[in-house]
Amino acid sequence: MENTEKMMTGEESLKIITDMINKTKVNIRQGSFHLLFWGWLIFICSLSEYLLYKFTDLSNAWYVWLFVIPGVFVSLIYGFVTGRKEKAHTYAEMLYMWTWIGFMFAAIVLFIVLARSMESIAPFILLLAGIPTFISGFIIKFKPLIVGGITFWILALVAHFAGPSIAPLAVPVAMLTGYLIPGYMLKSKVDHDKV
Amino acid sequence: MTRFKDLNPILHSQLRLAVISLLISTEVAEFTYIQEQTGATAGNLSIQITKLKEAGYIEVTKKFRNNYPQTLCRITPLGRQKFTEYVKALKDYLNPDKGDQK
Repeated sequence: MENTEKMMTGEESLKIITDMINKTKVNIRQGSFHLLFWGWLIFICSLSEYLLYKFTDLSNAWYVWLFVIPGVFVSLIYGFVTGRKEKAHTYAEMLYMWTWIGFMFAAIVLFIVLARSMESIAPFILLLAGIPTFISGFIIKFKPLIVGGITFWILALVAHFAGPSIAPLAVPVAMLTGYLIPGYMLKSKVDHDKV
Repeated sequence: MTRFKDLNPILHSQLRLAVISLLISTEVAEFTYIQEQTGATAGNLSIQITKLKEAGYIEVTKKFRNNYPQTLCRITPLGRQKFTEYVKALKDYLNPDKGDQK
């Protein structure tokens, strides 16, 4: 941009404002990491729990969920380190970040409240997880994530109403539709945009 | 009706308007980020940022990160207010008929 003191027309002013605001779109580079990380972690935990219940005599198969605790730290550290490298933080990015942190706190409270009845947690956690997924889709203008959020809510109903042979599969299926498929689509979009 | 000369002279300049337009949707931005987005030279950008700072439209913080100096800019409430007024005045100038009907 040249020396700025020369006279601008009204149209030029408007163009500068529009161009600059368009340059502060949400940076989605981080988004796919968290979706893929949590998608695979929860997919493996939920499927392992289901398989352990179905094919072994283990009564405490839910212990596989303890892997979520180090997962929270991995996610927070990755977000912190990557965030520090960014040269600017847009309000949309801050909204994206706080939506997910809000979900994390709500999920912790849910786990505490339902600690004695973990077998009934699936519909509630899916109901809750649908909200940040759905909102994030709108923030980054990415339809697969919006659809992913909606599938969480549909699968929350499945988890609640379907019989015991189908209901436990609602969580792993939700990870595919809500996190993994949108996550890989987002990653391919980011990689494509870089080229 | 807004006349062209009524547009805020601090904002009615290419680079200063670009800087404020970038900062309006960012919580905080590094000097190097603003430079990349506007394509301005460091010297020119530095002069314009100083003018915006002196007018009270932006805040400038200097820090060190990994032993390298880092200049952070953020818009102030006054800057946000002046930008809103500027956009309104620009709209009135570009669409004088609509402005007169009010």
